[in-house]
Amino acid sequence: MRDKLTPKNIAISLVILLVPVFMYLIDAFTLYISSNYGVFLPLPSGDYILRIVVQAGVYILLAVGLNIVCGFTGLLDLGYAGFYLIGGYTAGLLMARLGVSYWIALPLAVINGALWGLLRGIPTLRLTGDYFAIVTFGFAELLVQVVKNEIWLIGGPNGFVNNIPPVTIFGIELFQNWHHYYHILILILLTVFITYRLKESRVGRAWTAIREDEQAAESMGINLSRYKSLAFAVSAAIGALGGGFIAQFQVNISSKLFDFWESIFILCMVVLGGTGSIRGSIIGAAILASLGELLRGGNILPSEFGGARYLIFGIILVVIMRFRPGGLSLKKA
Amino acid sequence: MDQFIVQLVNGLVLGGIYALIAVGYTMVYGIIQLINFAHGEIFMFGAYFAFVLVTAFGLPFWIALPASMALCALLGVLIDIVAYRPLRNAPRLSALITAIGISLVLQNLARLIWSASQQSFPDESKPNIFISDIDAQTGAIINAIPLPGGAILPYRDVFILLLAVVLMIGLNRLIYLTKIGKAMRACAENQTAANLMGINTNMVISVTFAIGSALGAVAGVMVGLREVIEPTMGYYKGVAAFAAAVLGGIGNVTGAMVGGIVIGIAETFGADIHSGYRLAFAYIIMILVILIRPSGLFGKSTSKRA
Repeated sequence: MRDKLTPKNIAISLVILLVPVFMYLIDAFTLYISSNYGVFLPLPSGDYILRIVVQAGVYILLAVGLNIVCGFTGLLDLGYAGFYLIGGYTAGLLMARLGVSYWIALPLAVINGALWGLLRGIPTLRLTGDYFAIVTFGFAELLVQVVKNEIWLIGGPNGFVNNIPPVTIFGIELFQNWHHYYHILILILLTVFITYRLKESRVGRAWTAIREDEQAAESMGINLSRYKSLAFAVSAAIGALGGGFIAQFQVNISSKLFDFWESIFILCMVVLGGTGSIRGSIIGAAILASLGELLRGGNILPSEFGGARYLIFGIILVVIMRFRPGGLSLKKA
Repeated sequence: MDQFIVQLVNGLVLGGIYALIAVGYTMVYGIIQLINFAHGEIFMFGAYFAFVLVTAFGLPFWIALPASMALCALLGVLIDIVAYRPLRNAPRLSALITAIGISLVLQNLARLIWSASQQSFPDESKPNIFISDIDAQTGAIINAIPLPGGAILPYRDVFILLLAVVLMIGLNRLIYLTKIGKAMRACAENQTAANLMGINTNMVISVTFAIGSALGAVAGVMVGLREVIEPTMGYYKGVAAFAAAVLGGIGNVTGAMVGGIVIGIAETFGADIHSGYRLAFAYIIMILVILIRPSGLFGKSTSKRA
């Protein structure tokens, strides 16, 4: 990914930067046609598409974060939504309950996520393979149980936190979808930059060595505990960052947003893109998040088939593992 | 004290059901070192198969139960052949991810076919002795054993417990006394060596899947009799049963039985303390066992199980 300023890359960057403009142009065009000619164009609402794009952006963030543990160090994390949940509830509760500003709540959420990543990571350091996966799964499920039950802390049954206030910057409230778009874009760029630099650094090479052969890595002088803990903390922090963003984006959050299938959904993105590849995670997340939104009942499929999207994700997991374990990215696993 | 006995009995019955599911996890893990995430879904399909057979086809319960076992055995073998067999030599995590994928597919397939709403066996389809009641006028107890404190133990629960025990003993005898059982143990010990000794390992693995799935189907029908049938039942009960398998030492059949009983009782008493955390107890036991004693209560202590 040592990209240069080629015309293609500049064009891609411009398109990414101008997505909200295109979307609002669609809306303006539909409005113009319908008010001047009385014809209603069957175009989707640009604002709605923009919202889906933002949602996909959150998944890109999460997939990049999960990829650090699953892809770089090769440990299967089945409870990534747990950190997403921690970030969401930390930021959500701080903002809705204590009136803390987003710009303080978000870093606190990230720090809290990283702490929990370490807390979960330290006892599981010596576990590998299935047992690690099962502990991560149990940990995330326990968190869901806690937010469902501790009403005194969370505020509502099933973990509902309502009316999380919008973010303000210089006195301007950021609640429009294009605000969210640039907001998540900045977070993604920051995350991808950090992850990419980590991957290319000594740390990243240590992670790869751990993935390939733990014992060999250890005998080469790599401190397994330290590097694994670092991976857990960074990955969890990114998950919590996504959670902090979603709290103000969704305004109301509930435990449903962070359940086990959410972890699997994110895992599915990483697997589809090819574990270990940052670019793959981004592409996988973009594809599956938009596919998931399209297949949500009521868009193409009738609403009673809304659950069918998970069926399709399941098939994707099975087929990818069978025929292309390296994912869609070009690198062969 | 009366309440204690009632809960203990409930826990035992639930534990018997968990044990039936847990052996499916543990047998498959013992032989191919795969956490068969889809096993919970097979259990759920077992309940639905029997439900469809008695409601849509009007079959008597006593025929629907073995038929559902056979169908589930077939489903289990089919899943193994289609999804897991091609990945025998792939990295272990690939197979685990495939298992999760299959579980997703089956759960949502059930949701598409039978809808997400809860269903239960209609009373007229259940055998008469399974319908227990206390006559409001005479206070006579019908089809149940009286427990201290005015509670009753339905014959249905007695049957579930007995059936679980009988099946467990049968399975134990099968594994230790028959030729196929010996082949299974050989495969669990060392598959390559077993193959070299002329054991058809693929066939043995298929038989393992078939037996585990059939027992899962029994558990599914029993849960259908006691509680409700819904597409998510495989997930919740499956996780608890998996915790039981881990507790007993995954790969160890006796351990799965004991683990099932322990988890069942823990869940029943745990629900007394705080009903919202009903499921959490199984998760906590599972995590603690893995962290403190990964080989479980009965497992052989190995330095590394990866």
